[in-house]
Amino acid sequence: MATILKADNLEKTYRVGKVDVPALRGVSVAVQEGEFIGIMGPSGCGKSTMLHLLGGLLTPTKGRIVIDGEDLTAATDAKRTDIRRRKIGFVFQRFNLFPTLTAEGNLRLAERIHGNGADDPDRRREILRMLRLEDKMHHKPLELSGGEQQRVALARAVVNRPAIVLADEPTGNLDSENSEIVLKMFRELNDRFNQTIIMITHNPEAAGACQRIIQMRDGHIV
Amino acid sequence: MDSLVVSNIRQRPLRSAISILGVALGVALVMLFTGLAHGMSDDLQKRSSNVSAEILFTRPGSLQMMTSSANVSTKYVELLKNIEGVESVTPVIRYFYPSGAFGVDQVEGVEWDSFSGMNNIRIVQGHAPASPDEIVIDQTKAARNHPVGSTLKVFGEKLYRVAGVYAPESGARVKMTLGALQDALEAPAKCTFIYVKVKNPSEQVAVAKRIDEAFPGNKIQLTREVFATIENSIPGLTIFLRVLVVLAAIVSALVIMLAMHTTITERTREIGILKAMGASRAYIIGEIEREALLISFLGLLVGFALAALAGFGIHKATSLIFEFSFRWALVAAAIGLLGGALGAFYPAARAANLDPVNALAYE
Repeated sequence: MATILKADNLEKTYRVGKVDVPALRGVSVAVQEGEFIGIMGPSGCGKSTMLHLLGGLLTPTKGRIVIDGEDLTAATDAKRTDIRRRKIGFVFQRFNLFPTLTAEGNLRLAERIHGNGADDPDRRREILRMLRLEDKMHHKPLELSGGEQQRVALARAVVNRPAIVLADEPTGNLDSENSEIVLKMFRELNDRFNQTIIMITHNPEAAGACQRIIQMRDGHIV
Repeated sequence: MDSLVVSNIRQRPLRSAISILGVALGVALVMLFTGLAHGMSDDLQKRSSNVSAEILFTRPGSLQMMTSSANVSTKYVELLKNIEGVESVTPVIRYFYPSGAFGVDQVEGVEWDSFSGMNNIRIVQGHAPASPDEIVIDQTKAARNHPVGSTLKVFGEKLYRVAGVYAPESGARVKMTLGALQDALEAPAKCTFIYVKVKNPSEQVAVAKRIDEAFPGNKIQLTREVFATIENSIPGLTIFLRVLVVLAAIVSALVIMLAMHTTITERTREIGILKAMGASRAYIIGEIEREALLISFLGLLVGFALAALAGFGIHKATSLIFEFSFRWALVAAAIGLLGGALGAFYPAARAANLDPVNALAYE
């Protein structure tokens, strides 16, 4: 298996007023293609900061991140956005769907942002079938249950074949039944499409779905 | 519905409607004011063009665009006839008076035979004014429920009887005898100007020069120059219209800027999502600009409709004439769209530069 993501000695320090607050203190991690990794740890340990760094939403204070052969840390802001567009799919705890768009509209928006060659009806059909969303495409988010909304968010994240899906507590807002459904979808995506997934979770059951767990504490991997 | 632009506009109908009305207001103002200004000046020009005289003999200050005075002695009528090259002359008093709530109207006192003969004006109904309480009106005025035989209050409280209808339109719509207007204005033996028709139009400049030399201190103008510059002769009209256009553009830009600023503040989180999805700065600016342009376009349509309705209403209620101008419609469209695009640019750029992590955390 090829290394799809490599982070070396990542450090991130936030400036709060006149005080430097270290969030990550030298984290290194390598992720192989097709891995399903869980990141666990107490609140404030740096999980979300790490996910945002890996997704190019933040820049590290120090260290290097290479995604699918492209150096994220050496890239300009525009280049980082471009890498994110082509290589990353995000799933958030709060679903973060566009409330004014239907489920289909949310997917099409992701395809439009992705640009050329993104509109792949076969891929979309297969994903929708797998996520059992075929009959929900004309519903707006508020007309869907939490589990359905998160499945739409998952479909949106993977519709453009990203190299990596970064999920920030995707079951955090769901009841246990819907959590189980969504986790099953993550596992299926990983199994059937060899989708690389990095997922933050507090939930031990969710962690059980992962192939590898990274434990964090105080900005370190432990 | 998978267009973020359209769905956002539909999602917030009240704010969208207010924004559209804001743009429409600017557009309607431009269309209405320019339409009225051009309508009035074109009407004046059209009526002035039905004059065959080549020379206007008057005194400085006696005839302005919307004011006049009877300070030219009618003794010049006979004197002008003796100038070499002059074919005929006719004296006219033009008097402006307030009409309705907004308008200014005018009446002319003429020696009917010489005036109509010189300018090929004919009576199409009734007869020429003969007594001091008789007037003739043009067909436009007659069409406004003023048939021959009816009475009309021209200025003051005195009622005048419509003796006839003349054509084509020329100068003031209402005409009475020169003597009647001299009496009414208490200006015996006076007029506002004297029309001079020359024997050979190609010699009008030479004849004008002769008149000027014979009667220095008066104002000698060629009618072709006077009528060609009616619009320019309205003091400050061009500046007024330009100021109006700039104000309309500012109104449109501010309305859109405010609407987009509010929208973006509300949608901070959505902008964070777009950024997380890999939307570039240009994409985000483009989405917001498209929304602003769509609102502006709808504002344009509403603005044109409002201007047309208001113009029609004003025309019905007053004597002011509204003229839809395609040139000004293009200017108004450019103002609406450009104002919208410029107004949205700052909020759009601000949105595009939002920190994605902070935007995603926005409540």
